[in-house]
Amino acid sequence: MFRNAILRSARAASRAAPRFQTPIARPAARSSLFQSKQIIPAASFQSVRCYSAPAGLSKDEVEGRILDLLKNFDKVSDASKLSASSHFSNDLGLDSLDTVEVVMAIEEEFSIEIPDKEADAIHSIDKAVSYILSQPDAH
Amino acid sequence: MAKLSGLQRDVLALYRQCLRAARAKPAETRKNFEDFTRKEFREHIHLNKKDFSTIEYMLRRGNRQLEIYADPGITNISR
Amino acid sequence: MASTRALARLATRRTAVPAVWTRSFASVEPASPSRSTISETKTSTVKEPAPQKDAKIKTFHVYRWNPDEPTSKPRMQSYTLDLNKTGPMMLDALIRIKNETDPTLTFRRSCREGICGSCAMNIDGVNTLACLCRIPTDTTKESRIYPLPHTYVVKDLVPDLTNFYKQYRSIKPYLQRDTPPPDGRENRQSKAERKKLDGLYECILCACCSTSCPSYWWNQEEYLGPAVLLQSYRWIADSRDERTAERKDALNNSMSLYRCHTIMNCSRTCPKGLNPGLAIAEIKKSMAFT
Repeated sequence: MFRNAILRSARAASRAAPRFQTPIARPAARSSLFQSKQIIPAASFQSVRCYSAPAGLSKDEVEGRILDLLKNFDKVSDASKLSASSHFSNDLGLDSLDTVEVVMAIEEEFSIEIPDKEADAIHSIDKAVSYILSQPDAH
Repeated sequence: MAKLSGLQRDVLALYRQCLRAARAKPAETRKNFEDFTRKEFREHIHLNKKDFSTIEYMLRRGNRQLEIYADPGITNISR
Repeated sequence: MASTRALARLATRRTAVPAVWTRSFASVEPASPSRSTISETKTSTVKEPAPQKDAKIKTFHVYRWNPDEPTSKPRMQSYTLDLNKTGPMMLDALIRIKNETDPTLTFRRSCREGICGSCAMNIDGVNTLACLCRIPTDTTKESRIYPLPHTYVVKDLVPDLTNFYKQYRSIKPYLQRDTPPPDGRENRQSKAERKKLDGLYECILCACCSTSCPSYWWNQEEYLGPAVLLQSYRWIADSRDERTAERKDALNNSMSLYRCHTIMNCSRTCPKGLNPGLAIAEIKKSMAFT
């Protein structure tokens, strides 16, 4: 796990560097960059935010909207456990059907459609946030 | 979450399709369709996940119902 | 008229052929391989109410499955009937069971004379219409009744034919032409042209042949199956239809038509005495020579 994180941050760093010179070049695997946000230094984090800026969505805004949405979801067993890193089933006590509903509510909130395969992989708030940030159409 | 089997993913995909179909319904009755979907799935949530033949049957039945209820001519559903 | 002719043909076929032979084809497996049935030895028998002294008691084992209890397994239910009080056909037996002993037994029936195709089922290992199938009078032999093999079961003996009907629809079973008839009234046909449709138009789409075809069992989604192909040929052979080329084009792929490997279960089992195998061969022939 730790080794993965190191690898990921190393990859992220090496990716981040050239991007300062050519901001137009869009790397294909954008979402992996966002997952490593805690590890990479602030400078490159900034570049990530610049990158998503054209869509007009900041990470905080996305997170806030998703948290609001979950606050109003009556199936959440323990609202005190709601945080940016909560896991839908482990922390919030949601089953797989509820998870589908949450992901669909997120779809509507950001006016996008998440394909089944990607939707199945979203089971925590930070995953949802990073997915939304990776979507240029989300607003 | 534990890794889902193919059949379980099929069930979730059907659930998603049903909720998507509900979005196409009039705003005032959409909730009825959603509640109906929830009820139909929750009713059988305790099926043994190894009971393939039953789950497959329920999936077929669900797909059939979805096909029927997705018709734009159907605008409301009572519980 | 057509149905009496078919009946006569049926009668001669049934008597001329030894019983063992008739029973050797379209063998039944439980409706779906993953769903084995609880055998009749483990279920109770519903008895004929108050049998008489010289009663001719015959046992019928009937496939039962109730969708309201989706987790329960299908089972074989036994019923005994006095043949003296029952009509001669299998459908009479089923109706009598439903009326007098077990109203929960579910099956489709309508015309009771082999023209509607509703009561198609698998009786003693043969796909046939219950209304055209005589009850074997030998009371020592027990009869077994299943839904059409390899179909999804709606309930008891009722098969789900949605896919079958969808396929029928896909071949556009109606007259397609652009030019109006020359006299402005009817699309005329010569006697010879009309004769080509004999043996095709009589098909009642009971699905006995399609569900007896191993090729169709394995490729239901893509292979059209004998019944639908016979219907397709009925429109290809029609002199009034102007879309013959398009119709053939639609069949010209590896699945729709060419999954027929001339097993011929279809022609053997057809309760109307038609020959879907021949119709399929005619389509293949006409495609080979154009």
